[in-house]
Amino acid sequence: MATLTAVPPETHEPAVPHRRRFFEPRYLILFGAAVVVAYLALVPVGTMLIASLRSTFLGIGPDTWTFGNYVRTFTASGFGALVANSFGYAAATALVSVVLGFGLAWLVTRTNTPAKGFARIAALVPLIIPGILNTVAWALLFSPQTGPLNQVLRAVHLPIFDIYSLRGMIFVQSTHVTPIAYLMGVAAFTSMDSSLEEAALSSGARPVRVFRGITLRLVRPAILAAALLMFIQTISTFEVPQLLGVPNHTFVFVSRMYDALQSFPADYGTVAVIGVFVLVIAAVGLIVSQRMTKRSPTQTVTGKGFRPKVTDLGRWRWPAFAVFVVFFLVTVVLPLAMLLWSSLLPTYRPPSLAALRSLSLRNYLTLFDTPSLLDSLRNSAITALSAGLIVTVLTAVVAYLTIKTRIRGRWLLDGLATVPIAVPSIVMGVGVLYWYLAAPLPLHLYGTLAILIVAFVTIGLPYGMRYLGPGISQINDELEEAASASGAGWAQTFRRIYVPLLMPSLLAAFLYTTIVAFREISAAIFLYSQNTEVMAVKVYDLWSNGDYSTVAALGVVMVLLLTAVVGVVRLISRRFALEHT
Amino acid sequence: MIKLTGLVKRYPGRTVANNAVDGIDLEVAEGELVTLLGPSGCGKTSTLRLIAGLERPNSGEISINGEVVAGPGCFLGAHRRPIGIVFQSYAIWPHMTVLENVMFPLRVGRHRGRKAESRTRALAALDGVGLADLADRPAPALSGGQQQRVALARALVREPTVLLLDEPLSNLDAGLRDRMRDEIRAVQQRLGITTVFVTHDQDEALAVSDLVVVMNGGRIVEQGLPQEIYTWPRSEFTARFLGVSNTMTGTVTALDGAVADIAVASGTLRCRACEGIEPGSRVSLFLRPESFRLSRRQHDENDWAGTIAFSIYQGDCWDYHVTLAGETVKVRVYREKVGLAHGDTVYLRPDEDAVIVMPESGRAPVVTALREPRTSR
Repeated sequence: MATLTAVPPETHEPAVPHRRRFFEPRYLILFGAAVVVAYLALVPVGTMLIASLRSTFLGIGPDTWTFGNYVRTFTASGFGALVANSFGYAAATALVSVVLGFGLAWLVTRTNTPAKGFARIAALVPLIIPGILNTVAWALLFSPQTGPLNQVLRAVHLPIFDIYSLRGMIFVQSTHVTPIAYLMGVAAFTSMDSSLEEAALSSGARPVRVFRGITLRLVRPAILAAALLMFIQTISTFEVPQLLGVPNHTFVFVSRMYDALQSFPADYGTVAVIGVFVLVIAAVGLIVSQRMTKRSPTQTVTGKGFRPKVTDLGRWRWPAFAVFVVFFLVTVVLPLAMLLWSSLLPTYRPPSLAALRSLSLRNYLTLFDTPSLLDSLRNSAITALSAGLIVTVLTAVVAYLTIKTRIRGRWLLDGLATVPIAVPSIVMGVGVLYWYLAAPLPLHLYGTLAILIVAFVTIGLPYGMRYLGPGISQINDELEEAASASGAGWAQTFRRIYVPLLMPSLLAAFLYTTIVAFREISAAIFLYSQNTEVMAVKVYDLWSNGDYSTVAALGVVMVLLLTAVVGVVRLISRRFALEHT
Repeated sequence: MIKLTGLVKRYPGRTVANNAVDGIDLEVAEGELVTLLGPSGCGKTSTLRLIAGLERPNSGEISINGEVVAGPGCFLGAHRRPIGIVFQSYAIWPHMTVLENVMFPLRVGRHRGRKAESRTRALAALDGVGLADLADRPAPALSGGQQQRVALARALVREPTVLLLDEPLSNLDAGLRDRMRDEIRAVQQRLGITTVFVTHDQDEALAVSDLVVVMNGGRIVEQGLPQEIYTWPRSEFTARFLGVSNTMTGTVTALDGAVADIAVASGTLRCRACEGIEPGSRVSLFLRPESFRLSRRQHDENDWAGTIAFSIYQGDCWDYHVTLAGETVKVRVYREKVGLAHGDTVYLRPDEDAVIVMPESGRAPVVTALREPRTSR
């Protein structure tokens, strides 16, 4: 070595330690997680893109690169109507839900309406009532002949409401997404500094002028961002268009994709093209929406503990409160009551005194006697719990890697883990389906529960990151370094410092992704086969067969299960919150 | 004993010119407490983290008690070095009790102790910092000073060869800070443990150290005994960092052995000479605010005449800004009941022993921050 002194020490130094570092178990685990995430995030989207550009994807005959699918799809008769329906449906839903959601949020955060408790309930609604059940319940409530709400309308000599129409779709989807818009509104209004409004008031502006000129202007980015998110969510979910649009031949992107795959021979090219189309809409919308929230002036004032100024509504307090009662009735009470009522009747009858006599629990007994229903329950439990577990472990590692290490390329990994948020579940479902049908893999996942788990894990990744990212950043680096300086190795540090400190975030991530996977239908509908039906798919299946009573009973069971899981989440988070104060 | 040789650390994404640690050579003798002192971003914490093994040097060598722990082709992680460290945030694990925190170092790693024995040793360590009766408290229920003591007990419980302290006092309020400073020094001297103490506060550094190492821009500016560094800094950076706020330039008019006469804009002064000056050479002068004699009457023809620009009452002293011939100097006067007011004429005489003189540098080193706020990292 002494003869090598002419070589600067730095140039030969890194080679040895770097190679050894890479083979440490720590780096192997991290590298493994990175590969898995990249695979999960990129494969479905990539497959979809490729499929859209192949002449006979999954078909017989020469398979070449072509734009033919695009030309054929875009010039097909009815494509204009398809686009108009899809955009009209999604835009109207976004408008309705955001106006309602932000209006309600303003009432709760900025006025003395006695409705604070609704914030909690609204947060639970989207969790415990899956979209498919909400759709089913409203289809029963507004059933043309026997729906109780239409009977009320008929009794007061008003025209009945046709739920099997674009208007019906917009209405039902709005009841499902308004609570989400409402929560975003609450967040926006709470983080807004009310001294900005007070400054306007003290400059001599009248309250109405202040509301228009200051309040609305300040939350405008949040409103637009929420509208875009509602739009994306609406344009990419399966249940409402399929259940309410298709019977009346009103097709949107999602139902058109499903239709093209069900027909024989399946038109894989068209499905891929529409999938790419939806994907681009979602990705662009999401990027624009994130830009807006980032630049939002309300962002600059978050973090301080504001107590927003409360406007006294005076006599209008009670009418405002009534609005909340209606909101609660429409989003929670009516759908759940309808499901419960139908589940207790052997065949559906509108609510009446006479019908009361035939109430029975027979449908529930049938549930437990039907093997295929029990199978769907088991399948749901297996897929949802495994997806929750895998997502939690994977995102814990990814979040650690991106936040706590300085490994090169970590930002890319962070990006990859959030890619699935821009991929509508329907695109995810089709992409995963195509990949496992077409790819020359040694294992055949199609027809197994594994393919569902793969899809659910991918869909769940961004949710896991949302809990574990902040969870891990809250842990001061020095807590880890202190363990290391105390002589603890990496594995010991992870087990004895990170895992206990992260436990609340880990549990929240696990349970939340489990819930998401449990309710998921838009991807599952493309991936299930005879023996791998999950509950949400089973509900759709039974509904298509007209077995409404069993659907209702199964729905009630689902809601009860979800309520139980959400209850456990609450209990646990409260326990941990107490321990840590 | 700790020995650092040619230590370099740069963080990814920065240019080579901007090394966080840029070639540090340092020896910390057995049982000594050495302070790394400097403004934020000077590389002092990076150096400490390199010694701890929390960072990997880009080049250079670190040895602890003769064993190389980092160097070409070899690197021991923090968990394999004989160190104890107290962090700025204390890093007390919130999910454990006080005792569990202190027991942790004994229960992990290669030489795991038995539980009962670890418990006894942890309790003894807690007793050493006066916290034995709080052993079963949950760690977050402690005050700042108590957390500080737990961190110290945890760092010492394994009986490490080296104790590392990363701004351990900066999160405490003023009164507690002095008490903890004295306590840390007492424990260090009692155990005779080799210690590296990182701080940006010169008072702390002067109070506790055997050796003060002043750092800037990733390099060592100078090192010496606290009293040397304070009274006779050898660089402008050190002088300014240690609170010498008045700077002047002058010309040497006469040199008589150890005494120099110097002409400055406001008059003349006499001071201790330094190396590298001769009659006629330009010099930089540094004067502390408290090293002036200030009076209302002229006692000596060499006194500098000036007027008070403004005065600040500090309780135990007065601070004056005095305008001399074209420049303003800050003067601090203790034990004065009635202050002077704006416009009063005064006469200044610099204290001969306290004037710091050095040959004028072509380019004065840029001082980025004289003091960093206590709360920042």
